[in-house]
Amino acid sequence: MLQFVPEALAQTFDVSILVALAIGTIAGIIIGALPGLGTVLGLVMALPFTFVLDPPTAVALLLAIYVSSIYGGSISAILINVPGTPQSAATVFDGYPMARRGDAPLALGYATMASFAGGIFSLAVLVLVAPQLAKVALLFGPIETFALIFFSLTTVAWVSGGEMIKGLLSATIGLFLALIGPDSMTGQIRFSFDNLFLSAGLTVIPLLIGFFAVSEILYQAATLKDVKILSVPEGGFSIPPWSAWKPRLVTLARSCGIGSFIGVLPGTGATAAVFISYADAKRRAPNPEEFGKGEPSGLIASEASNNAVSGGAMVPMLALGIPGDGGTVVMMGALTIHSVIPGVRLFSEQPDLVTQIFVLLLVANLFMVFFGALGSNLFSRMLRLPVTLLMPLVLLMSLVGAFAIRSNPVDLIAVIVFGLAGFLLRLNKFPPAPIIIAFVLGEPLELAFRQGLVLTDKNFLQFFASPIASILFAISALILLNLFGLGGFVGKYFKRNRADVRE
Amino acid sequence: MRSFMCFVAAIAMTTGIAFAEYPEKPIDVLVPFGGGSGPDASFRMLQPDLEEILGQPIVVRNVGGAGGTVGAAQFAGHAKDGYKLGFMPVGTTTTQPHLRKVPYSDKSFAPICMTIQDPMAVGVSPDSGLNSLDDLINKAKAGTVTSGGPPPGSLPHIGQAALAAAYGVKFKYVPHKGGHGAAKSILGGKVDVLVDPLGSTLNYGLKPLAVLNGERLPAAPDVPTIDELGGKPLRYSIWFGLFAPAGTPEPILDKLGQACEAATKTERYKATVKKSGRTPRFMNRAEFTAFFAQQYKDNAALLEVVGLKK
Repeated sequence: MLQFVPEALAQTFDVSILVALAIGTIAGIIIGALPGLGTVLGLVMALPFTFVLDPPTAVALLLAIYVSSIYGGSISAILINVPGTPQSAATVFDGYPMARRGDAPLALGYATMASFAGGIFSLAVLVLVAPQLAKVALLFGPIETFALIFFSLTTVAWVSGGEMIKGLLSATIGLFLALIGPDSMTGQIRFSFDNLFLSAGLTVIPLLIGFFAVSEILYQAATLKDVKILSVPEGGFSIPPWSAWKPRLVTLARSCGIGSFIGVLPGTGATAAVFISYADAKRRAPNPEEFGKGEPSGLIASEASNNAVSGGAMVPMLALGIPGDGGTVVMMGALTIHSVIPGVRLFSEQPDLVTQIFVLLLVANLFMVFFGALGSNLFSRMLRLPVTLLMPLVLLMSLVGAFAIRSNPVDLIAVIVFGLAGFLLRLNKFPPAPIIIAFVLGEPLELAFRQGLVLTDKNFLQFFASPIASILFAISALILLNLFGLGGFVGKYFKRNRADVRE
Repeated sequence: MRSFMCFVAAIAMTTGIAFAEYPEKPIDVLVPFGGGSGPDASFRMLQPDLEEILGQPIVVRNVGGAGGTVGAAQFAGHAKDGYKLGFMPVGTTTTQPHLRKVPYSDKSFAPICMTIQDPMAVGVSPDSGLNSLDDLINKAKAGTVTSGGPPPGSLPHIGQAALAAAYGVKFKYVPHKGGHGAAKSILGGKVDVLVDPLGSTLNYGLKPLAVLNGERLPAAPDVPTIDELGGKPLRYSIWFGLFAPAGTPEPILDKLGQACEAATKTERYKATVKKSGRTPRFMNRAEFTAFFAQQYKDNAALLEVVGLKK
């Protein structure tokens, strides 16, 4: 494959391709930052424009949007506490508190550099071991996938902000909402009340906008006492010093690894990767109590892993023709339209094309940092807008975004209903993140479980015949025991008793 | 002013003179699946040529969900003025109405042209040791064959059920999220067989054992047809076509039919489709109308056989 690099480089450093990459990066960052508009919609919106371009330029534009839109989501998450995309749902935990205490430039710096590290790491994985890793993805059949998603759900414990029971209750809301619409095993429609629009089920974007954006807007409106404009330090973007990175390098590396690995396995996706990575960082941190209050490690874990998924998810998509998440489904369709047909034959028959895709991804990641840093100045200015002006704008954009995905009026109603519900939950200290993660994982969890039951003739014990699944179940069990047995109720109970005795 | 224009337009419509000028404004094409999906990609390949021939921009609207039924239902109620068209696949238009309650039927659509028809193939893993259709059938007779594909009622599901029935065997069906999910399970050795369009079968790296078509296909000339193998002449394909809401005036349908024919004949379109691995198949209005009616009837009967008809 190396012999194709000079040619790929030569083709990439062509004016039209560089312009396409730059436009794609800028557009991707903006689309990602706008709540409701995400990777999928960005790619779909760009598709018609690519018809007038020749295939390499078109592919460059699409790849740039794919890479940078995930990063863009972090900007609104950090600055206004509203994740721009589902993948940045965990970025709000620590990004927003940092911005509140005046460290917005630093938070943007962490997010940008962590995103870059995630993107480059996963690109390296894609370049070096895509065909081999594609085989690992195949080891994950329905039973293994079920075990992995089961494990992913344990992360709810770490994103509940100290309210474990309420977090679990939130998760059940998410699981229930995932049931609406066609049963993925039989195609039968559930909980639609014979409403055709509801029969298509719900999607994650309106949920995210309702529970995060609208409820945040309502919450701010309810708690607003005086319109105060945050002071924004000049510069808008600062790369944290090496001394700040050094203790967090392990977190960074682990998050890159988790993101790439989860990305490779079809069926779980970036949102799960982000929460797994965040939970992992919190579990291993010497200061878990700082997480959720503006700890840079939390921000790094979230942003490195979601960008690492971008490269990881390309592995099965390019090497097997099997897309792993919504973004890669659209990406694959878009590539097909431009006569790049992902699948087993791509690597063997068109290695020059594959090499060029790699080079384009590399440059797209570099552009992402460049334009991210350049744009941060502008983005931070958003904070100077009084919230009374900013939040209505966010609301309008959110509604447009929610509707644009599939032009289904149910999505608009969902935003409003979930916005009100989210506001009530927020007042009662129910964390919204578990709703999102449970919703995202609900459908694949059910599908994989029932597929597994069909394969094993309804014998659940057979699930443990799979070594991969058994290991994942064991890890999940240990985590749960640790949470509830030692760290959770029992621990508290004993502590209280001991305290009683002492009195 | 606007109502006056509407009035003029209404007069013009009834007199038929205005048809000479159709189309006068951008045309909206609804695709009942998401951007980048199979139907979406298939239409977007045609879009530039169709725009050029009609001389008006075409706006693609993706309204996905529930097997395309949400989009198709929306489309069926659209204005019959030639500015609202739909690009829809076989499943949404000919199987879904028999599977569940939807506010449309074959009577809701006026077929304009078919553009793509991908015959299905029987695909297995290259590592499975199954080298012929007989191997697969024998395996089913000896024990169990698991078959994967999208949820029941989808064309791949009906195709595999018909295949098993033709040989007097049963496959255990494991629904997946789309053909690609099933392909992954097959390559990983968890599931045995997938009946899916030949192009996808090859892209996933599955080994096609037979094509459910009358002739061999240029994409894989070594793969025998089911007829050659002595099986029942099963004919299953995934097709996509352009539709207008029923009741759209004939002259407009004619004009669209001609434009569609011209667009599918351009070199650019032919080259794009060839590279995409899909099988171009043009049917004009008359052919497609007859074919559509037949498919609607046949698929209703098939769903009854597999026990899914509502």
